[in-house]
Amino acid sequence: MNRNETKGPVVKQASPGTIPEARCIRLKNNIPVFIIEAGSEKVIRLEFIFDAGHLREDKPLVASVTNLMLTEGSSYHSSSYINNTLDWHGAFYNQYTERDRAGFTICFLERHIEKLLKLSREILLNPAFPERELNILLSKRYQQFLISREKVQNLALEKFFNSVFGNHPYGKMIRLEDFGKIRPDGLRDFHSKYYVPGNMAILVTGSIPAAMIDLLDDSFGGLPVSVVPRNLNEYPIGLSRKRISIEKKNAIQTAVIVGSPTINKCHADYPGLKIVNAILGGYFGSRLMKNIREEKGYTYGITSSVTSLKMSGYKIISAEVNKKYAQATIDEIFKEIRTLQKKPVGKEELKVVKNYMLGEMVRMFDGMFALAESFRSIWDFGLDNSYFYRFEEKIKSINAEEIISLADTYYNIDDLYVITAG
Amino acid sequence: MIEFTKFCLDNGLRVLAHEDRSTPLVSINILYDVGSRDEDPQSTGLAHLFEHLMFGGTPGIPEYDKHLQLAGGENNAFTNSDITNYYISIPAHNIETGFWLESDRMQLIDFSERNLEVQKKVVTEEYNQRYLNQPYGDAMLLLRPLAYSKHPYKWPVIGSDISHIEKIGINEIKRFFFSHYAPNNAILSVTGNISPDRVFKLAEKWFGPVKERKLKERHLPAEPLQTQKRILQVEREVPSSAIYKAWHMCRRDDPDFMTLDLITDLLSGGESGRLSTKLVKKEKLFSEINAYLTSDIDPGLIILYGKLMDGIEPEHAGERVDEVINELMNKYAPAREIEKVKNKFEASAAIGNLNILTKAFNLAYFELLGNPELVNKQVELYRMTDRDSVIETSGKYFMESNCSTIYYKSSGRNRQ
Repeated sequence: MNRNETKGPVVKQASPGTIPEARCIRLKNNIPVFIIEAGSEKVIRLEFIFDAGHLREDKPLVASVTNLMLTEGSSYHSSSYINNTLDWHGAFYNQYTERDRAGFTICFLERHIEKLLKLSREILLNPAFPERELNILLSKRYQQFLISREKVQNLALEKFFNSVFGNHPYGKMIRLEDFGKIRPDGLRDFHSKYYVPGNMAILVTGSIPAAMIDLLDDSFGGLPVSVVPRNLNEYPIGLSRKRISIEKKNAIQTAVIVGSPTINKCHADYPGLKIVNAILGGYFGSRLMKNIREEKGYTYGITSSVTSLKMSGYKIISAEVNKKYAQATIDEIFKEIRTLQKKPVGKEELKVVKNYMLGEMVRMFDGMFALAESFRSIWDFGLDNSYFYRFEEKIKSINAEEIISLADTYYNIDDLYVITAG
Repeated sequence: MIEFTKFCLDNGLRVLAHEDRSTPLVSINILYDVGSRDEDPQSTGLAHLFEHLMFGGTPGIPEYDKHLQLAGGENNAFTNSDITNYYISIPAHNIETGFWLESDRMQLIDFSERNLEVQKKVVTEEYNQRYLNQPYGDAMLLLRPLAYSKHPYKWPVIGSDISHIEKIGINEIKRFFFSHYAPNNAILSVTGNISPDRVFKLAEKWFGPVKERKLKERHLPAEPLQTQKRILQVEREVPSSAIYKAWHMCRRDDPDFMTLDLITDLLSGGESGRLSTKLVKKEKLFSEINAYLTSDIDPGLIILYGKLMDGIEPEHAGERVDEVINELMNKYAPAREIEKVKNKFEASAAIGNLNILTKAFNLAYFELLGNPELVNKQVELYRMTDRDSVIETSGKYFMESNCSTIYYKSSGRNRQ
């Protein structure tokens, strides 16, 4: 402690306490519904989750374009009617396509529940995939794709996923000619297989009206449930080339990415790995942030994260750095990893990261949006709240030796891919 | 509805408290009434650089972040043209740590040469990352000096040139601190799992001893009325051309602000907005197009920007944009369409109220504007807009002579 340092108020470790349990109810046709009540406003958030992510697509863009076309016209209404109706009811909605899942999230004032539930059903289950709207969407997306490829961060990310996951749907790169291959029939086919009642779940958070289940049953409970094709993908295999530099002329900064495939949430070591990741680069006080930003000023920010996928997982360290210091940054990242593997984490640093992560756990369950996100993060992997309790226990109990051993096992230097673009 | 209590310390610090027991957390927001408009024209970017230095430690607490993290807290900050705003989210039982840290750095910070040098580099990389190394990233850097000739809004918050940042010395940093960072130039708002009574006791205990300071008076040059349209054409290596337009508007506290806000929603709120419906979907001129207000306290700008589809000439697309704008002034908007944008505003206000950080910021911001009660009247006030006020307000601001346009042309060199 610095000689002049003043002593602040006594702090107590935070704890998320009892984590709200989602109530699980099944509609008449067995569609699972999860309900978490939260919040002080009359606002509802509905999320319709389908096992219809990139994992299910046989060629790039099919999953994401199918999802984006949901609001572009149905068997009953035009795209403009749908968009106007959503906006008129003040709905904030989001269409998403992830590697494993795809879905539709809609947030609105409780009083519009009936109208918006009916409209959601129409959007999700009766899209028409009109050709005109599809062509507009594709040419828009094509332009946006060209722009995104002008960003060094995107170039490096795309190459990273392709390197760690190879030609598996998790890693397949989009090429310009893929845009020309998307036809309404292909989307209809994808939709009819995966956007079906037997392949969906509904998550409801916020202010829940008493008749919620009846309303959901009216809209979704009467639909027949069909058999969904099984996922036939093999596990992804990475490419052997571990170092790739993409040249982008005139770039001022270089995007640096270091990472590799790793375990996912279902593995017992996962919570420990998350803690090692936090120490390395997972929060503002992390070693990489202190070293690369706060001591050397090479970058505006450097982060490290670990992400779970159904059939894999990955860890990734990334930064956009002054191009003069790209190699120096890579060297420092490796140096920090080696230090984690050799030198025990000091008492104070360990206490800081533990307390910070426990505070983060409190924020993970604060409010309807955080609760929904946290619920999905375990439900996607067939886990329940016991995962979070184990995580909390691990944060409290982990010691310096265990951190060295985890860093040794999961940050094997030879496994790491190093991608730069700039 | 945000029920709140207000209180003022003897040193001039204004304190607002709002209790919300649905969360285990507390948010602390400190707004300093200083932004890039308060900079000298030769030292642009100083207010934002200074925000970085506020995390560099104080004589009593060398590591701000460490102590907040020990308390399970998280924090961030932003600087804009008008204000510098710092906020914390922290578990309620450790709330006092937040007061300790914020009052300490309001009292004094370390004027460390080393930290200044590192943060200059960090800000330079931020400049590169956000503006120079992004396609279209410099467009907003060009638009401000085109639209403003006198008012400090003519330079961007990050600074008009990175050389300004490089030149800033430690004495300038000290002067900036003592003339802008003071209890009498700040608003503290605390929301969440805490009683107003406790907030005031803690505010008195920790911020009470910080002495009032003599502030630098604000004398900003008014922007002269624009009387002629301004056009700038640039060529860049981007995949497609783009258009950026800006019209001068009223002050933030003028009632026209709300009507203009709704007008930008008519234009580009959601997929059903006029610009998107007409110019993206129907005429296929743009791949994306948006309109928004800069929401500055002094007269700000209405901004409209769009990226063009391949092969479309910016001048042609610009004419079509003008026609959509002219329709606002010449033709009544259907009642249902006006109702739509009001409904959307109401929903976004309710969603904002779910978050204690948003509530804390809004309380502080409306206090700065002069009346925190207005935070609860926004929906009602926005509802007063009707088709006549849309026509009248559009006519007042969307004149061609009040507009600056950038035709941001693709050099064609990296078309695919």
